[in-house]
Amino acid sequence: MLLNLNRMGPGRYVLYGIGVLTALFLLLPVAFIAALSFGSSQWLQFPPPGWTLKWYAAIFNDPRWVESIWTSVKVAFTVMVLSIALGLPAAFALVRGKFPGRTLLHAFFISPMIVPVIILAIALYVFVLKFGLNGTFIAFVAAHLIVALPFSVICIVNSLEGFDESTEKAAIVCGATKAEAIFRVTLPAIRLGIFSAALFSFLASWDEVVLGIFMASPTLQTLPVRMWTTLRQDLTPVIASVSTLLIALTIVIMIITAFLRRRYAR
Amino acid sequence: MSAQAPLVNIRNLVKHFGSVAAVDDVSLQVGEGEFLTFLGSSGSGKTTTLFIVAGFEDPTAGDVEIDGRSVLSVKPNERNIGMVFQRYTLFPHMTVAQNVGFPLMVRRRSKAEIDKAVKEMLDLVQLGAYAGRKPSELSGGQQQRVALARALVYKPRILLMDEPLAALDKRLREDIQQEIRRIHRELGVTILYVTHDQEEALRMSDRIAVFSHGKIAQIGSGADLYERPADAFVAGFIGNSNFLQGSVVQSQQDQVAVRLDDGTVIRGNTRHPLAANARVRLMIRPERLALAPSNDQVDQSLDVTLSDTTYLGDMLQHEVVTAWQQRITVRTNDRAAASSAGNALKLHFASTDVMVFEDGNRATA
Ligand SMILES: Nc1ncnc2c1ncn2[C@@H]1O[C@H](COP(=O)(O)OP(=O)(O)OP(=O)(O)O)[C@@H](O)[C@H]1O
Ligand SMILES: [Mg+2]
Repeated sequence: MLLNLNRMGPGRYVLYGIGVLTALFLLLPVAFIAALSFGSSQWLQFPPPGWTLKWYAAIFNDPRWVESIWTSVKVAFTVMVLSIALGLPAAFALVRGKFPGRTLLHAFFISPMIVPVIILAIALYVFVLKFGLNGTFIAFVAAHLIVALPFSVICIVNSLEGFDESTEKAAIVCGATKAEAIFRVTLPAIRLGIFSAALFSFLASWDEVVLGIFMASPTLQTLPVRMWTTLRQDLTPVIASVSTLLIALTIVIMIITAFLRRRYAR
Repeated sequence: MSAQAPLVNIRNLVKHFGSVAAVDDVSLQVGEGEFLTFLGSSGSGKTTTLFIVAGFEDPTAGDVEIDGRSVLSVKPNERNIGMVFQRYTLFPHMTVAQNVGFPLMVRRRSKAEIDKAVKEMLDLVQLGAYAGRKPSELSGGQQQRVALARALVYKPRILLMDEPLAALDKRLREDIQQEIRRIHRELGVTILYVTHDQEEALRMSDRIAVFSHGKIAQIGSGADLYERPADAFVAGFIGNSNFLQGSVVQSQQDQVAVRLDDGTVIRGNTRHPLAANARVRLMIRPERLALAPSNDQVDQSLDVTLSDTTYLGDMLQHEVVTAWQQRITVRTNDRAAASSAGNALKLHFASTDVMVFEDGNRATA
């Protein structure tokens, strides 16, 4: 190999240094927030004068925080389910279908990723107002589904393209009906793609804030929206502990994903 | 083939994809227990014909009968036909045993019955020790053997195989060919096999159907195709061959005399009566040619010049050139015929080894 670390001599310590600095650059804000969330200072002093869990207690003692967490979970979960329910058949049509305009349709399904979120938000806001749906659960789910669906379609299309249709045909000659072949062979074979689609859809909704601000009402807010509105009033360490909880959840999800991928990777 | 009614009867099958005629009036019968191979170049309609038999494609016209009944209205999962595909089609999330048991599972057989049949089948393909493995932990050859076991576990009377060994290397391919032949003998299952490898076709089949542009150019045993090809296409497709151009001097039943462009007259055989002066092509197999010194008196011969000799171990292959600069390949194990390049020689052959065909428009492969 041309770039062999061990053959580079002292120069390699420069590389190590750059690596460490990059990692610090990426991780410091996270570590900083985590440290502040356990700090006793009301004013987010750093380094913290003492350590406490009271900001975490504050979250769970404030029904508005708990409610917004619960709202976020419900919205994200519903979005995840619908995103698979719609993304799966769409992906089959896009991969297996033989109709004119297939590539155009594919591009159309991906387009919410390209359109600036703020434009989506305004358009949706007008639409939702017209039907009197603003501030409802349905509006949240619909808005988040729009940003989640492209992730779902991309993940499932990719895995379906990697799946040889002959395998499904083989199941059919073996005596399986078309439905049996799809449920017992095709779907299990692309389960990693479906799993990724579900995960990305959940996360797309879970940390979405722009659309959320437009869809929210004083009584129905997702967690990121609640964080945003709280921040606008005052900067409290509770925000730091909510952030830390969010980061912890993301890390847990990533660990589970890595574990499942390793286990099911072929 | 037996005289009794055929197991599979394909009648005037036609399949169009848009303006392309993938299958163009194919008719053939397959006897119970027969090993029939579709041989042909890429795009000649072999897979399409097989897929129509399996039920994955509907024919534009024609019929497929199994046991005297049309199966066109029967769904592919109800035809009770086994199939092995060119590509690896094991179910990736199931173990080898679950793969082989799958056809019985969808038939709602009892667990005990499935376990017993799976074991039997894995023993048949000599993979008993691999029951618990995932397909990704098997070699290509092992995967195709498992696919074979899966296709046979429900005891279909007909097994379709679409180039099952195309992705394997030559050594492995020959091993599995042996194995397929053994299984064919042991089970007596009727096999429709697709390949574009003529050696494989000759080695395995009872009969071979040569496909060309969606039609069957000829169907017969390997010896039929090699010794009595129906036309220049089949002659060129099966085995090695030399072609010469000429015109008919005289033709009587299957005997024909042909004048080559330099005036030499050669006697040969034909399957169809030929008109005098018709343009024809003569075909002679390289191993039916012999070389002699140019001053020898031989019955039927052509003056040539030796251009190159290749040592093939069991044989010598000579390239010779005619007076009008056409190259001809000669294979012989007569080492005495060896001579140095540039020498004048006589090429001789029996008239029974010269096959004469009408000079049709069909290109040779
Ligand atoms: N689904 C399809 N749509 C359109 N054309 C097709 C389709 N399937 C096959 N064809 C065409 O039909 C012709 C015959 O194809 P077929 O697959 O039967 O050939 P084959 O003899 O199996 O060739 P190969 O040795 O390459 O597998 C080809 O010209 C092919 O392009
Ligand atoms: Mg084919």
